[in-house]
Amino acid sequence: MKNILKDLRHPRDLFSISATDPYKSLKIRVILLDAILSLIPLFIVVTTSYFWFQSILKEDYRSQIKWQIENTKQSLDFFIEERVSGLRFIASAFTYEQLSDRKTLANVFLKFKREVSGLVDIGIIDANGIQQAYVGPYKLEGKDYSNQDWFDEVTVKNVYVSDVFMGYRKLPHFAIAVKRELPEQGTFWILRATIDVETLSKFASAMNLGNKDDAFLINKEGVIQTPSRFHGNVLEKLSFPLPGSQQGATVQEITDSSDACTICGYAELKHSPWVLVAMIQSAPYLKIPRIFKNELFFITIISIIVGIIVVTRIANTLVNRIQEAEKEREDAIAQSEHASKLASVGRLASGVAHEINNPLAIINEKAGLMKDILEASEDQSKSREKFIGLINSIFDSVSRCRTITHRLLGFSRRMDTAHELFDMNDAIREVLGFLEKEILFRNIRLDLVLAEDLPRVMSDRGQVQQVLLNIFNNALDALLEEKEGTITIKTTVNDQKIKVSVSDNGHGIPKDKLKKIFEPFYTTKEKGKGTGLGLFISYGIIKRLGGNILVESEATKGTKFTIEIPTTSTSE
Amino acid sequence: MIRTKVLLVDDEVEFASALAERLQMRNYEVRTASNGLEAMALFHESTPDVVLLDLKIPGMDGLEILSNIKKFDPTIEVLMLTGHGDVASVQKGMQSGVLEYIMKPIDIDELTSKIDRARKKKEKG
Repeated sequence: MKNILKDLRHPRDLFSISATDPYKSLKIRVILLDAILSLIPLFIVVTTSYFWFQSILKEDYRSQIKWQIENTKQSLDFFIEERVSGLRFIASAFTYEQLSDRKTLANVFLKFKREVSGLVDIGIIDANGIQQAYVGPYKLEGKDYSNQDWFDEVTVKNVYVSDVFMGYRKLPHFAIAVKRELPEQGTFWILRATIDVETLSKFASAMNLGNKDDAFLINKEGVIQTPSRFHGNVLEKLSFPLPGSQQGATVQEITDSSDACTICGYAELKHSPWVLVAMIQSAPYLKIPRIFKNELFFITIISIIVGIIVVTRIANTLVNRIQEAEKEREDAIAQSEHASKLASVGRLASGVAHEINNPLAIINEKAGLMKDILEASEDQSKSREKFIGLINSIFDSVSRCRTITHRLLGFSRRMDTAHELFDMNDAIREVLGFLEKEILFRNIRLDLVLAEDLPRVMSDRGQVQQVLLNIFNNALDALLEEKEGTITIKTTVNDQKIKVSVSDNGHGIPKDKLKKIFEPFYTTKEKGKGTGLGLFISYGIIKRLGGNILVESEATKGTKFTIEIPTTSTSE
Repeated sequence: MIRTKVLLVDDEVEFASALAERLQMRNYEVRTASNGLEAMALFHESTPDVVLLDLKIPGMDGLEILSNIKKFDPTIEVLMLTGHGDVASVQKGMQSGVLEYIMKPIDIDELTSKIDRARKKKEKG
């Protein structure tokens, strides 16, 4: 096998190995070619639709992420706005004096905390930046914020939301401050609340994310504000820069150094200095839904199977047709070769018969004369009797030769074909009349299946009967002693031809001998029983009458001869 | 009974001589000719009752001899001898007035009976 593979250069070499039979090889070639031609488009369609579907799913997934980011952004916006509004409300509902009272502030803090989650502490700061009152876990009363950036900012902007910072407890927080103007007094005060970042991160984690995905907030400088799973700790700077911000949510792909594709979605929050970032690494669209995949796979397999079956059928039919046509052609050639062989053998035989016949006539006359002379002589010697005996045996031999030469000449001559209209069934019955005694004597079953509506035949009745007699005789000779003999004679008409089939259940003819039975001097009968000319002559007669003679036989089972005679014989 | 005069025309001398002798032993008066000219000469000379004619004769075609003979004496009976399977000429011969044809090698008794029949027919006709 190794050597074979080494020698392979072309696919056809493989075919020649797989099939030495040219038809099989042709079949394989047709199947392969057809299969390739029909399956390639299938594969293209399947592959294209697979990737097309995948890209649709990807697009869908991206818009789903975008939508989620927008939702989360809105929730966050709302969250912050709610707190800002709450603080504003408190700042407007209470006076500075009221809130400076720690008891009142604590009361407000508790109520406010009940309403909004994540509130850590609350404080009131005067225009000088000094925290006048504070409620919360630390001791921050009297703390001076005047030199902090946010204090300046809230003074200008009235509302301020801080970046996340580590509080005293080392937990990330952010602060919201609102300014309350006191225009009559020309001063202001600030209400400031700190909110736990955990509440914010809950929003991010509320996004429906896979375990490879990450959602968090950063500030405008790219510092991480809420806990991130993969992209650094809070207050660390993000390792990669984000593209410029746009209105609403933006979704784009980032391919990092490890070539893993990441969908990055981000949206700037409205009232806070933050950007919501979602880093999506999971790609569910890559796992095309199993149903689709299974269906595609199923359809593909079915198509391939159907394709292969159809292609195989077509190839089989095609190659079988070719094979049949080839066989028919070969048969026709073989038949015409056989016919021309028989014809030339016939010419040879009759030529020999011509040449033999005249010397035979001379021998006959000379011997006859010798006999006449001997019989006329007065000689009574012993040798006279002996000579007469010898001459008689010459006569016997001449007679045997004459039988053969006359039959051969009879075959080669274009006999005096006297055409007449006759009924084939009558002709058969007449011939059977000659054999009646033998059939009765040997207790042979004779089945006559003669078609009643047989048209009359215009042919040479005598010669047809000669052939029939010959075939009937052969059938009788073929029957065995030990078995009940049956001869079936059947006539049918088909397409201007009358068919006479004669079947016997005798010893049959072996296949190797079947080819030769129409040749002259070929006989399977015992020596002296047959001349080997019967079928040869019958063949010649039937051919001359424009008909055909066929034989089917199986050794030990029996033989069937079929003669076809055209109803209007066109003698050659 | 007057002996039947037979003219035997056959190019095969060995055959013709032996047959002639045998017929003579059976009391026929036989003349033999081996070609067409000879046959015509003998025919005029001997006026035979029955002509035995081989089809293939050198010098003159058997059928030609037949028509010449028939022209000269339409009542003459001709028996055709044939050693060949030339049925076309046999057919033509039959059409041209040949009474019967006999295949070689011949059976002498069959031949004599046919000759006798031919002669009787001629006498009747």
